[in-house]
Amino acid sequence: MLKNFEGLDENFRFLILEVQNQIKATIEFLLAPTPSTYDKIISKDDYIDNLKNVIENKCFTTLNQTKLGPEQMKYLRAVHVISINLERIGDYCVNIAKQMGYLSSARFLENFDYRESFLKIHQTVSDILPALQKANLSGALAICRMEDELDAMYKENFDKIMIHLRIGRNVEDHITSLFIIRYLERIGDSLLNIGEALLFVIIGERIKIQQFQALQRNLTKSGLQGEVTDVDFQGIWGSRSGCRIARVEEKKSLQARDSIFKEGNLRKIRQEKINLECWNEIFPGLVPRVFSYQEEGENASLLTEFLAGCTLDEAIFNPDEEILKNALFIFEQTLQHIWEQTLNRFALPTSMMRQVGDRMSSILQVHPELMRPSMAMNALPIPSASELIKGCMDIEARYPAPFSVFTHGDFNINNVIYNHQTQKVYFIDLHRSQHADYVQDISVFLVSNFRLPAFDPLSRGRITQTIGSFYSFAKSFALAHDDPGFDIRLGLGVARSLYTSTRFELNRTFAHEMYNRGLFLMERLTEKSPEELDFFSFPLEILNY
Amino acid sequence: MSQDEKFEFESVQDCRTIQKYLQALQEGFEQGRIVLSADGSEICLNPAGYMKFQVAVKKKGAENKLSLKVVWKDKSDQTLESGTISITT
Repeated sequence: MLKNFEGLDENFRFLILEVQNQIKATIEFLLAPTPSTYDKIISKDDYIDNLKNVIENKCFTTLNQTKLGPEQMKYLRAVHVISINLERIGDYCVNIAKQMGYLSSARFLENFDYRESFLKIHQTVSDILPALQKANLSGALAICRMEDELDAMYKENFDKIMIHLRIGRNVEDHITSLFIIRYLERIGDSLLNIGEALLFVIIGERIKIQQFQALQRNLTKSGLQGEVTDVDFQGIWGSRSGCRIARVEEKKSLQARDSIFKEGNLRKIRQEKINLECWNEIFPGLVPRVFSYQEEGENASLLTEFLAGCTLDEAIFNPDEEILKNALFIFEQTLQHIWEQTLNRFALPTSMMRQVGDRMSSILQVHPELMRPSMAMNALPIPSASELIKGCMDIEARYPAPFSVFTHGDFNINNVIYNHQTQKVYFIDLHRSQHADYVQDISVFLVSNFRLPAFDPLSRGRITQTIGSFYSFAKSFALAHDDPGFDIRLGLGVARSLYTSTRFELNRTFAHEMYNRGLFLMERLTEKSPEELDFFSFPLEILNY
Repeated sequence: MSQDEKFEFESVQDCRTIQKYLQALQEGFEQGRIVLSADGSEICLNPAGYMKFQVAVKKKGAENKLSLKVVWKDKSDQTLESGTISITT
């Protein structure tokens, strides 16, 4: 496939061959060190390095000069990643040879079983090209799994060395041996990178081996007939929560269905699964169905229904204004229904302001200046951010929510899906759902609108329209359900969200806008006497940018 | 060489609260002493004598900018320090 790219294919084959030779020369050197083998290893290293550079240059030149199809692009990326890792394996071989000079006797290394590791490494490197050329999934997986085998061998030798070190026997030789064996373990890491680069070519997306295995288990459990390669694994969306999300499409099955695959932190994924089941019990069809769920060590994975439609923010920017109007109407009706059905008339305290404190270090890491100190202009004091947060916490303690509802928990505008055909809205990303103050969801939703990165007057007008519509709806709900502290809690919630969202905003001017508007709300709340505060009206204009 | 002393305050206000800040400055001019403090450190200005006073307004569509700038030099035997107040809305 790469033959047209100025001999790139040939260079790549040579690189593999040379790294194989280097591995072979290194084991020969370990078994019987001679100056000539040592020199051979050192000089070969330069050649390998040059080959890698040639390949890298050709990859980038090709990218720059040739119009490549998506498949060719993936192939090129994989060749680049594999080459870098092959060169690194070559370097580790050199490092191993150099370490031999520190042993009191070359035979000392015979105390450890390293030959098998070398043989396996050599064999695995020779498996790279066939796996790449034939897009062989099991070949790629075998290369990935070699890391585990090398890790196990490393652990065995490591434990052995530790026993000797504890009693102080041949300390120098044991430490040198440990360094040598450690390089073999690192070769395993490089082989894993190579295997994952091959998975990328075969599956078409960047995926880690444990994620792939989790996907495989989930698909099997959810009833997929056939191979994992029968699915299209695409559109991986990064996520701030550290979870990996992908859309999975079945290609061959008769009952082909699309799904969403999520893999990541055990606690979050497990909670998401519990919450999805809970939502589905209360409001069937509002959230994705769970197809399968797996736990593996500290990670978990989830395969859920893929819900067709657009996110609500996409509806905002749709040229057809009717779509937004419809979407908002259905969205508000759905919410009204959810809130009324799950309303629990027990007052509960909120902790919105505490979140500002909890996230302060992340905020200041991105914007160190967003922490106003105590200031004054003559006799006029300007409250510091800390004083305002403290003042707001006191207010929050005095105004608990009069009732709770089952909340979304991460009610960003892009966590709501709207389907224009079915005239329905759906919720996604529900790992934080719980019975809580509905104002939490409202404030997050409003600020997620404000934060949308669109600044032209037309888009901004749509955003302001959405904010206005949603506030009116929420305020009416508050009035109808006897919630006199609604505006106060909304002020606290919006201030909290404006302040804490700055940690995701790298545009300094806009981050300052959000921060200053957050402080403005806090100032307006804290300057009031307890009697005046009861008449606080949320200044909606603060969300008009 | 003396170090530049600086005071910077940026915030969102409304017409009502802007007046508090203008009032504080107005009192400062009246008393001939404006003290600006931040995080424990203070800058003390003593507006006196003739001052350059500049009002600049810019209007572009819905965007408005009103800048007030007052520049003067301290009258002192030892120093030739200058004071500047700039207000931008």
